[in-house]
Amino acid sequence: MRLKQGDMASATVFSEDPVATARHWAEQGARRLHVVDLNGAVAGRPKNEKVIRDMIRAVGDTMPIQLGGGIRDLDTIESYIDAGVTYIIIGTAAVKNPGFLSDASYAFPGHIIAGLDAKDGKVAVEGWSKMTGHDVVDLARKYEDYGIEALVYTDIGRDGMMTGVNIEATLKLAQAIKIPLIASGGLNSIKDVETVCRTLVPEGVIGAITGRALYEGKIDFKKAQAAADKAVGK
Amino acid sequence: MGNIRSVSKALERVAPQERVEVTSDPAVIRACGRVVVPGQGAMPDCMRQLAASGAREAVIEATREKPFLGICIGMQMLFEHGEEGDTDGLGLLPGGVPRFPAARMAGLKVPHMGWNEVRQARAHALWEGIPSGERFYFVHSYYPAPADAAVVAATCEYGVAFTCAIARDNIFAVQFHPEKSQTAGLRLLSNFVQWRP
Repeated sequence: MRLKQGDMASATVFSEDPVATARHWAEQGARRLHVVDLNGAVAGRPKNEKVIRDMIRAVGDTMPIQLGGGIRDLDTIESYIDAGVTYIIIGTAAVKNPGFLSDASYAFPGHIIAGLDAKDGKVAVEGWSKMTGHDVVDLARKYEDYGIEALVYTDIGRDGMMTGVNIEATLKLAQAIKIPLIASGGLNSIKDVETVCRTLVPEGVIGAITGRALYEGKIDFKKAQAAADKAVGK
Repeated sequence: MGNIRSVSKALERVAPQERVEVTSDPAVIRACGRVVVPGQGAMPDCMRQLAASGAREAVIEATREKPFLGICIGMQMLFEHGEEGDTDGLGLLPGGVPRFPAARMAGLKVPHMGWNEVRQARAHALWEGIPSGERFYFVHSYYPAPADAAVVAATCEYGVAFTCAIARDNIFAVQFHPEKSQTAGLRLLSNFVQWRP
């Protein structure tokens, strides 16, 4: 299921069988799976644990899975990592309670990714329904000091709207931090993929997340991967 | 040491007829047919745990006498010294484990995280069915720098060219994670369980 700009009222269900969908992307040659428990993100606690565990069982032993959405305590993180999730994404909880992100990074080194959702340089929380006064770059640097493994940056002006990646904002953030950055939001065409690879990859962006464009057929996965490999010269 | 579960599950997948056991019991390590030492996180912690578990000597014996696969920190620990935490390794292979040099990384980030091309330096039973240049999943800030070029089985490039696989006699070790590297990774693990060095 995907949302437009984080609005649950705009939810589109693309598949009734997330496990089969996960297998499908694995078969297509996906190199990492990004999973969000959307109900969990809204509720502030995991809501789709069973189906997520089934997805992990299906593909978690052959590729990295990163999982976010309503993860607010260390026990939940531990149980997902034990089940085979490689990376846990902490978003809203990190903004509201930086100590939690710090504790998680200390307890599970190498497994914690922070998710920053932002618009016009300012951080948003709770499925993007609330804007905060935090500056994206300042907060990203603070998270980096906690020892997070990587950062997922979602430009919420773009996510699900398929209007192109916010290259400028992503580039600015990538250049400000030392850890890997994953870009999310706005990937809409093979051309966008190529642009990301040419302009952002040399600055430390290691990947881009796309959902809606794949499910609506605007991006063909295999063609996109081939274009990306070509654009980065490998 | 993290990721142990993924490694054991991936091994079960490629060798359903074999018994795969996660253990730190020296007796079990001495009794088994082949040994995989995974490892994720920090080399000092992994070295400490290896000593604390009492498995250190059994692991060293395994590197001398049975098919042995080291993964990530499980590879780094084979060397003499790790820059991370100024840690002594097992010293089974001459060389060290330095950190990616900040001055030569340009815009590249550390850790090196993601899929990268693995260039095979020589033929080996564990490369069977895997073309040179195939991509594997990496996540690491330190890399093996063997003093003996003869052990290099593959290299990779990330800011610097580095050794990402080594082979010597019954030892094979990789810096990347075959258990997260899709079909190529499963093939390498499958080759390992069938390997008769």
